[in-house]
Amino acid sequence: MADTTLTPPHETLLDRLSVGLTPPIAAQPVTLVIFGGAGDLAHRKLLPALYNLYVDGLMPARFAVVGVGRKDLSDDQYREFAKDGTKQFSRRPLDEDKWLSFAEGLFFVNATLQDAEAFASLGSRLDTIEHERGVPGNRIYYLAIPPAMFVPTVQNLARAKFVAPPDRGPFARLIVEKPIGHDLTSALQIDDAIAKVFGESQIYRIDHYLGKETVQNILVLRFGNSIFEPLFNQKYIDHVQITVAEDEGVGTRAGYYEQAGALRDMVQNHLLQLVSLVAMEPPRSLGAEVIRDEKLEVIRSLRPIADEAVDRQVVRSQYTRGFHMGRPVPGYREEDGVDPRSRAETFVALELLIDNWRWAGVPFFLRTGKRMPKRASEISIQLKETPPVLFNADPAARLDANVLSIRIQPDEGFSLAISSKVPGPRVRIYPVKMDFHYGSTFGNVSPEAYERLLLDVMAGDPTLFMRRDGVEAAWQWVTPILQRWALDTDSPIPGYAAGEWGPPEADRLVTSSGRRWRNP
Amino acid sequence: MAKSVAVRFSRASDPEGIDDELSSLWTEAGRDSPVTRALMANLVVVRERAAPDEVDLAEPLEDVPIEEVARRHPSRVIVLHHGGRPDLCGPVAARISVLLFGAPPARFGVEQIAVRSTCADVSLPSIVRRLARGDLPTSIWWTGDFSEAAPVQALATVGRQFVYDSRRWRDVRRGMIALASIVSQPDGPDLADVNWRRLTPLRQTVAQALGQSIGRASPTHVRAHVHYRPGEGALGWLLAGWLASRLEWPPSGEWPVAVQETRRGDEILSLTLEADPDGSLVATMTEHRILVGYARDVAPLTIAVPHESDADAIAAELAGLQHDRCLRETIAVLGRRFESR
Repeated sequence: MADTTLTPPHETLLDRLSVGLTPPIAAQPVTLVIFGGAGDLAHRKLLPALYNLYVDGLMPARFAVVGVGRKDLSDDQYREFAKDGTKQFSRRPLDEDKWLSFAEGLFFVNATLQDAEAFASLGSRLDTIEHERGVPGNRIYYLAIPPAMFVPTVQNLARAKFVAPPDRGPFARLIVEKPIGHDLTSALQIDDAIAKVFGESQIYRIDHYLGKETVQNILVLRFGNSIFEPLFNQKYIDHVQITVAEDEGVGTRAGYYEQAGALRDMVQNHLLQLVSLVAMEPPRSLGAEVIRDEKLEVIRSLRPIADEAVDRQVVRSQYTRGFHMGRPVPGYREEDGVDPRSRAETFVALELLIDNWRWAGVPFFLRTGKRMPKRASEISIQLKETPPVLFNADPAARLDANVLSIRIQPDEGFSLAISSKVPGPRVRIYPVKMDFHYGSTFGNVSPEAYERLLLDVMAGDPTLFMRRDGVEAAWQWVTPILQRWALDTDSPIPGYAAGEWGPPEADRLVTSSGRRWRNP
Repeated sequence: MAKSVAVRFSRASDPEGIDDELSSLWTEAGRDSPVTRALMANLVVVRERAAPDEVDLAEPLEDVPIEEVARRHPSRVIVLHHGGRPDLCGPVAARISVLLFGAPPARFGVEQIAVRSTCADVSLPSIVRRLARGDLPTSIWWTGDFSEAAPVQALATVGRQFVYDSRRWRDVRRGMIALASIVSQPDGPDLADVNWRRLTPLRQTVAQALGQSIGRASPTHVRAHVHYRPGEGALGWLLAGWLASRLEWPPSGEWPVAVQETRRGDEILSLTLEADPDGSLVATMTEHRILVGYARDVAPLTIAVPHESDADAIAAELAGLQHDRCLRETIAVLGRRFESR
């Protein structure tokens, strides 16, 4: 008799045996080659993150970290450099025993990235290190270098035959830091050049915001709670605000910032990523490509802002002399390395609309800037007001609208503002909040974003990284704004005093529709 | 008075790292038993000092009931000691505290940040913006005498509510003029005057009593006499200003009201309203009651005055968060009158 049991044709042995098991985050033996290994990013973020992964037992059993740069450092000097960064910037104090063990895997190679010959000697040094450390040739190349160096470095990697095809032999992966390009055209050129060497599945474009616990929690908040998701649409949401504020000035990054400005530095990547997470449709699974597809749909649904609309919907500004925590600080044009006639914006505020069924007519107000009163990133989803009857009947004393605030940093967590009766014989209403703090609920030990992201690259999980089409779609949306600004070389750029939340023009962007900014 | 703070955790803090250090202080505070971090508002307490460098941030303030207010209206309390010479702008110093109230398991705590600044007035909002939590209403509580030093406008208007006590003013005229300049700001803060709150029962009683007597008289035929006890000048003028704003007396013209300082027994304040030929009423307020007598043959009206401590009153104003249109209009009309004379 014929067997009539139906077995799904695609089910494999792995499918059967993995039922009920959570796949481990399996970081494979690897050599992490950091181009720009003696730079600021490595010092402040990457090396402390690797140390913490090591202490948490999440580094592979066999690993090597090889810094590459122009500085003439010995391995021991590089270990001291790494130790100094870890002492200063690690989320946990340095443990001397663990450090010694971790530091055995740190090395430094002096090389000039434009020099193809240097890659040959780098290759032989890597072979030696891998042999000694028992690493089977898996490599991750981290481009912690200026964007102008991306393409020459990748081309030299190809010439030196450092990159195996994705489906053969030990793996080779590439980590690229933003910004990728300075507009759509340059982003396409960089992506095309990299694509000649690395397949898309081998490229990990970092936006460190996506590694933050609170950002990852946006999806859990939306799709893991039945209370919120039904509200996330134009029926119930009045508007959304996203503020990413920095309290520091341009500091030592004037050279970069003069070329970039806040729109390229923050909006094109971090803020649009946050918009896409807040606004995306429910994905059918948590697969990396599925989530990235849904995020891409949001970016592609953004209504373009071009020509005169730029003047109406986008405000750029520069900080002027002011105060930081009560202390006088210079204006942007007075900073070291900044052109006194600079037109680079240190602040951007804009209103965007998403042309899809869910968000039709709901404005998203975005703002980001330097030298604002505090370092804080927050998403505020403001619900529509209650009707003007009962408790909201007095036009001179309107109730505060309900607001769901997601604090990305600092004091990560979220709160829901609601109206409540003040105890007593009269009806008096006060805005109270239901509040969740990561620090007090789970303990104040959330991993740093770079820890999670480096671990994901080692494990081969691209979910929290930007895909090429996503980056290019973001550039496509931003580029008309840049073009409009590039044409205007005369009109004065509004200023805001350091220590304030932006210029009056940014306030008007919001107050013209009867709303107001919520300051974190 | 019994101490309301059960336990206090406190330490000096780097002004740049206050939030991180507060988190660790909360962890310390909750180590032995659970503590609820209570947080309804930002309460910025402004203390103007001749020599802020000499202020010991670790010392609790004796003359202002900050902890009692914080217990009643749990807030992030930011105590800002400010003063000195702007040309000698010294470093900002800070101290953080967690104050626990009540006994376990109903123990709750509030956080307090004391900051010392000697920099220019205009720099103060940058400190408040940095330290205040944006998702909570911010109230500025100005503890000083406006007639000696006018409030720093940029700071007074940085919050949603501006709380003060006009009873502290030595010179009512100067105090009203200073306050009027804040009121005149577009989108200025809601005002809460503790002294105005003390006047509220009298105003309510007078309004109620008018129904029994001269309530139908034309406002243009009213004359008034206000007598206030020595030290209650602000209360007397608030009463006169209330009448002026409600009855639309022109600020620069002659007002049909006489305001006089008088010592009469336990009387704090009295108001005589005359409306020929309809009659008159006299309302007198003491610490405990308000008595209204009528010229006609109507039984007097007596209303008890609710007893509130300063902390009760301030906490109630903070919880009210109300836009008091009458107070604003009273201040505006008094400010214009005092400026014109």
